[in-house]
Amino acid sequence: MKKTLTSAAALRVTFVTLASLCMLVPMYLLVVNAFKSQREILSNPFTLDLGTATFQHLADAWNNPGFSILKGYGTTLALVLCVNALAMVVCAPAAYVLARTPKLVSRLLLFFFIAGMFIPTQVILVPVIFVLRAVGLMGTMPGLVLFMTATTIPFTLFVFFGYIRVLPRSLDEAAAIDGAGKYYTLWRIIVPLMRPIIATVFILNALSVWNDFASPQMILGPGSDVYTVTTGVYAAVGQYSTDYTKVFPTLLLAVIPILVIIVVMQRHVMSGLAAGAVKG
Amino acid sequence: MARTLPSKQRRRRSAGVSISMVVPAVLIYAALLVVPVIYAFYYSFTEYNGFPTRVPEFIGLENYRTVFGSDDMTGTMVITAVVAVVGAVAVNVAALGLALLLKRTDRFNTFGRVVMFYPHVLSALVVGFLWQAILGPQGVVNTMLEKVGTDSLPFLSDPDWALWSMILVIVWSLFGVQLILYLAGLQAVPEDLLEAAKLDGAGRWQTFRAVTWPSLASTVTVAVITSGISLLKTYDVVVSLTGGGPAGSTKTLAYTILAVSFPQRDIGLASAQAVLLILAAAVLSLTVLFLRRRAENDAESIG
Repeated sequence: MKKTLTSAAALRVTFVTLASLCMLVPMYLLVVNAFKSQREILSNPFTLDLGTATFQHLADAWNNPGFSILKGYGTTLALVLCVNALAMVVCAPAAYVLARTPKLVSRLLLFFFIAGMFIPTQVILVPVIFVLRAVGLMGTMPGLVLFMTATTIPFTLFVFFGYIRVLPRSLDEAAAIDGAGKYYTLWRIIVPLMRPIIATVFILNALSVWNDFASPQMILGPGSDVYTVTTGVYAAVGQYSTDYTKVFPTLLLAVIPILVIIVVMQRHVMSGLAAGAVKG
Repeated sequence: MARTLPSKQRRRRSAGVSISMVVPAVLIYAALLVVPVIYAFYYSFTEYNGFPTRVPEFIGLENYRTVFGSDDMTGTMVITAVVAVVGAVAVNVAALGLALLLKRTDRFNTFGRVVMFYPHVLSALVVGFLWQAILGPQGVVNTMLEKVGTDSLPFLSDPDWALWSMILVIVWSLFGVQLILYLAGLQAVPEDLLEAAKLDGAGRWQTFRAVTWPSLASTVTVAVITSGISLLKTYDVVVSLTGGGPAGSTKTLAYTILAVSFPQRDIGLASAQAVLLILAAAVLSLTVLFLRRRAENDAESIG
């Protein structure tokens, strides 16, 4: 009996190790090949010869005249912060009211918002372009921020709603007796209590905004010179996908910040994901 | 702060405050998500090239006839369905299997979880380019195959291979999220039931069938819906991995909308395709929710 148990454990460890290797090899290839010449990549993709390794290609990718990756980081980061801030500023009050008014209207409104979770947002980009054009925001960052905020509202609002609903109502009542208005109660009492769920929502929304490619590509358009990380990578790598001295270094630069963040914050990211998704 | 307002007036003011708190969210959401969906429905019945000077011309179901009539486009829908169904099944099987293996929290398993999860934080566009460099005709795998003296394999250059390569890449990048979901779900499986099953002499498979699986029902629902919907709108990977080719074998519906119909200024057709995707997502979600409710009712009638 003991023997079969240990062999099952050994099998488990072997299998997980193999699966982990499959997951890691692409990243390993991305890292080592960012330091090699095209000829070396084609002849020996798996090994890194420290004698001939060079930072030249990374430097070239960094200094790419068509796409400044540093600007790309900046644009994407600004996008992440703006979308998150706006989504939370509009969703927290709405979720608060919906959670505290147990009326049919608020149920219907909540349902109206949740239905948005099932809209594949990428595919409505075409009509979105016409809406943005009508209000003069097509091709601009504010337009992109507004659209991305709209796509995050269903999830943000739903998760906030679930969280606020379990916060005791006596908090509101105590505040009301002290003469606090609804806005004051929300921002000074409820929102500080929502810190854990705000962190979760921030991480999830940040991931989806950072990685989105279709929205900035369609809304900012090729005409504007504003590149996010993803649209910049597309511009820099798209046509040169066989020149591996461009592909690997550019991709490496694109993924470094997010990988660093993930490794540093992996526990929060993963627990946040679990908490958010199960509620969703 | 005792206000002496009549209660009716006070109530009205409080309702006004409530409304002012809801309106911003409703406005942004409605203007940029709901209105576009309505527009998509409207445009889908028109012929429209997107120029502001032209008025969309109502043509009834013509766009839908085109979508279902041309082999090219029905092929696109079949590809989308294959990606969504095969992908969702593969993602969830892989995620659940690994979740069962990585259930215990020790250092090895924590490492394993991070490793399985990390592709999710890379953008699908980057994942596609990376795998193109690995699977392409001159890519890493084919270089190695040539080195050992074997013929190269047409991962991305043969129509059949390309579709399966793409699904493989999608599964590689997506199942980590579902894994986290299942790990969270497994924590909710009642420990005493598992022990009781063990005491009763149930094997691993029996325990899984009788205890673990039923307790996971809601997790499975969430995981299947979320992975199914995200697979339905597969776009970024297509752009970077295959560009829809070879011979259109990896052209998904989302790709066709954004990279074919829209650039060709066929707004009516693009909208009809978008409407079909929205309907598919709705049908998928409702089906899974319905099945789950029925399963729950059955479970109640047994228990």
